[in-house]
Amino acid sequence: MSADLSRDLDQHRGYLMRVARLQLRDEALAEDVVQETLLAALSGSGFSGKSSLRTWLTGILKHKIVDAIRRKQREPVVASAFGDIDSEIDIEDFDGLFKENGGWETKPADWGDPDAALSRRQFMDIMDLCLDRLPPNTARVFMMREVMELDTEEICKELSITANNLWVILYRARMSLRECLERNWFAGGGTGA
Amino acid sequence: MNPIRKALGHVIRCKDASRLVSLQQDAVLSPWQRLTLRLHLSVCAACARFERQIAFLRTAMRRYGE
Repeated sequence: MSADLSRDLDQHRGYLMRVARLQLRDEALAEDVVQETLLAALSGSGFSGKSSLRTWLTGILKHKIVDAIRRKQREPVVASAFGDIDSEIDIEDFDGLFKENGGWETKPADWGDPDAALSRRQFMDIMDLCLDRLPPNTARVFMMREVMELDTEEICKELSITANNLWVILYRARMSLRECLERNWFAGGGTGA
Repeated sequence: MNPIRKALGHVIRCKDASRLVSLQQDAVLSPWQRLTLRLHLSVCAACARFERQIAFLRTAMRRYGE
């Protein structure tokens, strides 16, 4: 029984690495975190079978990632984890998307039926691509909000940023992502061509 | 369209609306923010579309994270 579980868990390693890598931006740390996750999964008794194995593993992974981020924050570092925050929180960069009078420079295109994209593996590949294009701190914050589902207060506390900082970062992430997905998926009619 | 409704819809511009659309994903808007956003979305098809796309982004991220 334990040998089967071990094999099942290993199948999810690739996926867990992808999430950890994107979140932590540190290959070695991501490996450690995924390893801890798989060990915790093997040794713990938590899996009730109610959710899917992947969902359960992702839950453990999220906690391990938060712990790793916390540990990193406490370490004295040469450059702070958010050393580049000024360039990342400047909302003015997105003014180019709007005209002088505040209207759209280019209006959002028609995405047809976007929900249909969710079941396509190629769409998830495009998501990977677009998330990877985000500046590192922006991606990290966005994942904390949208994948780990932490709320404003929790994220601000973890990263020592203000709520306004956070909302600007999330705005930038959403504007970037939306444009990237439109360009690379939906504008082509949703075929990923 | 009712000219008063149209005028009220432009109390805020698309740029402002886009920030409010994003903000409402993370915080409860104030009554004024909510009112001006709703009015703008009722007269601006581009921003109404944008709101749907941002909502879809959240769904996509949830699926991505599973």
